[in-house]
Amino acid sequence: MSANGKPKIAFFDFTSCEGCQLTVIDSLQDHPELLNAVEIVQFREAMSEKGEDYQIAFIEGSCTRQSDEARLKAIREQADIVVALGACAHLAGVNALKSLHPLEEVRKYVYGDKWDWYETYDARPIEAVIPVDFAIPGCPIDRNEFIAVVKALLLGKKPPIPDYPVCVECRLKENICMYTKGKVCLGPVTRAGCGAICPTYGSSCEACRGFISNPNQDSIKDVLAEAGLSVEEIINIYTMFTTYQVREKLLQKG
Amino acid sequence: MSLAILSKPAFRDFVARLLADYRVAGPVAHNGSFIFDEIRDPSELHMDYPTTLLPPKKFLLPIREVLFRFKRQDGGVLQAPPETPPTVLLGVHTCDLHAIQLLDTVFSSGHYDIHYVNRRKKTLIVSIECLGPCDEHSFCKSMGTLTADEGYDLHLTDLGDQYAVDVGTQAGKELLEKYASAKPADKEDVQRLNAVISAKWPRFSYRLDFDVSELPSVLELGMKSPLWEELGQRCLACAACTNVCPTCFCFDVKDEVELNLVDGQRVRQWDSCQLDEFATVAGGHNFRASRALRQRHRFMRKGKYILDAHKHLGCVGCGRCARACIVDITPVGVFNELYRQQQAGS
Ligand code: SF4
Ligand code: SF4
Ligand code: SF4
Ligand code: SF4
Ligand code: SF4
Repeated sequence: MSANGKPKIAFFDFTSCEGCQLTVIDSLQDHPELLNAVEIVQFREAMSEKGEDYQIAFIEGSCTRQSDEARLKAIREQADIVVALGACAHLAGVNALKSLHPLEEVRKYVYGDKWDWYETYDARPIEAVIPVDFAIPGCPIDRNEFIAVVKALLLGKKPPIPDYPVCVECRLKENICMYTKGKVCLGPVTRAGCGAICPTYGSSCEACRGFISNPNQDSIKDVLAEAGLSVEEIINIYTMFTTYQVREKLLQKG
Repeated sequence: MSLAILSKPAFRDFVARLLADYRVAGPVAHNGSFIFDEIRDPSELHMDYPTTLLPPKKFLLPIREVLFRFKRQDGGVLQAPPETPPTVLLGVHTCDLHAIQLLDTVFSSGHYDIHYVNRRKKTLIVSIECLGPCDEHSFCKSMGTLTADEGYDLHLTDLGDQYAVDVGTQAGKELLEKYASAKPADKEDVQRLNAVISAKWPRFSYRLDFDVSELPSVLELGMKSPLWEELGQRCLACAACTNVCPTCFCFDVKDEVELNLVDGQRVRQWDSCQLDEFATVAGGHNFRASRALRQRHRFMRKGKYILDAHKHLGCVGCGRCARACIVDITPVGVFNELYRQQQAGS
């Protein structure tokens, strides 16, 4: 707590596009009163000062190198509450796609003949390295949800992240279902909270917010197969953001 | 009560005049389909729409509504939300009309719901007779909702160049007198109306393989059917079926606070028995944890429990859930399958 009684919060980034931090800046523009409720002591996207006495840490990005681990652990040491900010931190997201190919191949593809100058390993969600208290899902995060989470944390409550599928928000918006239009969509197994923004603007949901805790995986696979998708196409659409989770599950099953 | 005739241009004038004094909502085009929405001009209306994505229920039980505002200090000062304006709901089909009658019963008996009832009292309903099935999913004829003799203030039947207007209530009579230039129906008009109505019935087919009066017992006998397990395997628990249903009325209530952590509001929003979290109670126990049990519960409510409790069937045969379900779980399919199993077993 700072002298003025406001909790101190800090933002950190790892491997990510920084879109979630930009969304935080957007939320601040919509809700400048947020700054009456908290004190931001570190936020590289928005300010140059740096304070190390934060209570709440918002971490954007995946862990993709050995050297990320010590930094993550130091943040965990300091913060009372650690929140994963966005799909990269929450799921490893698109960063995990590289684990579908041999690492050396990926490094050569990205860095060419300088490939061994840059350290990297398989991308993981930060939860694979340190305990995480809460996650704000999405690629990028939803600005209203970010504010709702901050409010909940200030009140000492569990953040209100839905555990029902995107279809709920989609139907209540009176969208025409992608399946009715002859397309496929992962909305039935994906965690709501984004306001079904993709189907609302005519694109299929790709599960950037991760799966609900009890998805009917077998049934959605049947639905995708019935829609004419090959096994490979099903895997591709299914793992756009969830490669890490799907692989972990397969490893657990052996 | 009585029958009047309103030419199509006179109907447009009627709506235009209503707009001056009422919030007017009706069927409008939306993304290649239709929805109920507020209109600003009579030309937005599509009175001959087949069906809508969500039912007109949303004007009586909003998807999300503020129940009251509060302060988390000074003993929690309460403030009522702004009142709903007087509203005319145009173009309600008879299936939805039956559903509204059920909602009226539910929200005014037992726990009297002041929010619903206040809004309902300020809403006048101008319904319209369907002259052909809205699509292959409807089964209103089987459910006895293909027409209605009450529940409306005014009820329209399209006679081509004019509407026959059946006056259902005193309020409807006054509305018509004040805002419309209608003429009383003469003998010829009544004959035309009768011809249109008798021509419509053969266009609809019965889709239940048994009489609807048997539905409660079909369900009761089907409690232990293996069908529920099969539905549970297919069901995605996406809640599309309940969210589009005109008779579903479950909601969730929660408090939201502003960033000052002092001012807040209590809101309610539609909830669904098909969602995992719905039957989870404090302590984490979920008393309907399986999708099979939740599907069974849903159909039991539609065809039996609600009838037992409220004297109206919980399904009006509008077909919206069948249209919406990605894995083809439909009331007609379920009811007929249970009946078939029972016929085969007896
Ligand atoms: S478009 Fe996608 S999210 Fe929307 S209802 Fe259909 S499946 Fe669900
Ligand atoms: S609709 Fe799906 S892909 Fe789009 S933002 Fe929501 S969860 Fe992400
Ligand atoms: S719409 Fe179909 S899949 Fe979705 S919850 Fe209802 S029955 Fe299950
Ligand atoms: S259960 Fe289905 S068919 Fe019956 S009223 Fe509800 S949405 Fe309409
Ligand atoms: S279900 Fe029947 S009454 Fe309802 S809209 Fe369709 S045709 Fe009309």
